[in-house]
Amino acid sequence: MRLADLERAVQAHVLSGGSLPASLAAAVAPPAAERWQIYTEGYRLRLIEALAIQYPALHARLGADMFAARVQEFVEATPSVHRSIRDYGSELSAFIRAQADGIEDEMLAELAWFEWQVAAAFDAADAVPTTAVDLASVAPADWPELRFRALPSVRRQRTQTNAVAVWRAVHPRDADERAAAPQSAAQPVLARKTDPVEWLIWRRQLTTEFRSLEAGEAGALDQLLGGVTFGEVCGSLAAPHGDGAALQAAAWLKGWLLDGLLLRI
Amino acid sequence: MQHTLGFGLGLRPVHYASVLETAPAVDWFEVITENYLVGGGRPLHFLDAIRARYPIVMHGVSLSIGSTAPLDEDYLRRVRDLALRCAPEWISDHLCWTGTDGRNLHDLLPLPYTPEAVAHVASRIEHVQERLGRPLVLENVSSYVSYTSSAMSEWEFLTALARRTGCRLLLDVNNVYVSSRNHGFDAREFIDGVPLDAVQQFHLAGHQDYGTHCIDTHDAPVRDEVWDLYAHTVRRFGPVSTLLERDDHIPPLAELVAELDHARAVARAARAEAA
Repeated sequence: MRLADLERAVQAHVLSGGSLPASLAAAVAPPAAERWQIYTEGYRLRLIEALAIQYPALHARLGADMFAARVQEFVEATPSVHRSIRDYGSELSAFIRAQADGIEDEMLAELAWFEWQVAAAFDAADAVPTTAVDLASVAPADWPELRFRALPSVRRQRTQTNAVAVWRAVHPRDADERAAAPQSAAQPVLARKTDPVEWLIWRRQLTTEFRSLEAGEAGALDQLLGGVTFGEVCGSLAAPHGDGAALQAAAWLKGWLLDGLLLRI
Repeated sequence: MQHTLGFGLGLRPVHYASVLETAPAVDWFEVITENYLVGGGRPLHFLDAIRARYPIVMHGVSLSIGSTAPLDEDYLRRVRDLALRCAPEWISDHLCWTGTDGRNLHDLLPLPYTPEAVAHVASRIEHVQERLGRPLVLENVSSYVSYTSSAMSEWEFLTALARRTGCRLLLDVNNVYVSSRNHGFDAREFIDGVPLDAVQQFHLAGHQDYGTHCIDTHDAPVRDEVWDLYAHTVRRFGPVSTLLERDDHIPPLAELVAELDHARAVARAARAEAA
């Protein structure tokens, strides 16, 4: 058998969890069929373990056995196309959503997406954000023409469940939350519908941050990061904010610069 | 005598802070290439900080030099860019294939030891060496099954590739032991069959012994049988850069540094014996 055909046959047997390919043998006991399982089981265990590392809150929420069972369905349906195992699993949230049966699953899908975004921000490309000091020299007449793009780590997400509260119970942010964690583990945060909440995830130097945004601020930020000028953002705020539009836009911009989200184009 | 780095450890993220705080008596660190093919953040921050203090070797897991799928030029470019950033002493990966047709099984699958595979892999090694601008260092993997079409021993396969391409070998002593148990060959015959001038580096790691067979798990200290084989290897090859790996049940750094000291003692005793 040509090498290319041999590799295709072996790979197909690993992916399907099938029996020993005809081209393989083992010299000594145990039989080759049993040895072959080291590859087929190893493939599944390795991907499930990688997803447990990538999705610690989902793992904690489901428990190890349920996590393995649900994620194995994903693994069977989704062969890896990635060089690094760290990049495997971005589709897990959509996979859970497609099979969602009730509010707990909807929450799990949002939780998975939130965890993926946090992980993506963790090692996104470095960049030095624009600061208010950098803009101090911009003449007032030129402000409407300012354009920005997002730092590579910036992510946006809307949740319609309390997935982030569930995430927070697993990842306490500080000592106070850590002290509360045993209690929240004993009394798990129940999945429930919420009003839509807009989330901003980004990395400040080496620290991954996130915060919620008011709908108005989220809309303005999305517009700005979509490539429109600061003046156009102010313009679109005229209806809700009237004469205060520019003032409101300036206040938000000041916050985004403090957060370190923006790169001036 | 070739350049030797001494005794090193596989760098794992859980030890980043300890390495910088305690400046352990480790001669060099080996990093998993794929962990640093990222945009930025903590991985590259710590790589830069540790590289400023220790020599580094880049050790990849997904080159898939034995695959019949086309080589991934984007991956090679990223590896080359990372090498420009961290100036590794050398770049290694595994003599195996990890997938084909765009899939990655994230496993180190063995190759058939055939003239066809030698020709195929040799041409890819030459291509990679040209892209990276340096010799590639390739590691023998642990295996659990073999191909009915194999026409030579694993060490003859390694030797043929080294002779044809000038690539260097990373002799994983634990993998030699594990495969010898699984395939019923003499581990010392493997070691003695590898050319003296082709070996760049040794690997040591732990495995699990199931009586009838062994699995390469990297989740425990090096076993006595592998220390014995390592001593035999050092008696044959003399001083060669030696690296201790642990990938699961990773203990505190000090424990691995102590195990590395044991490797030093075994090597010292073996060399004294050989002298």
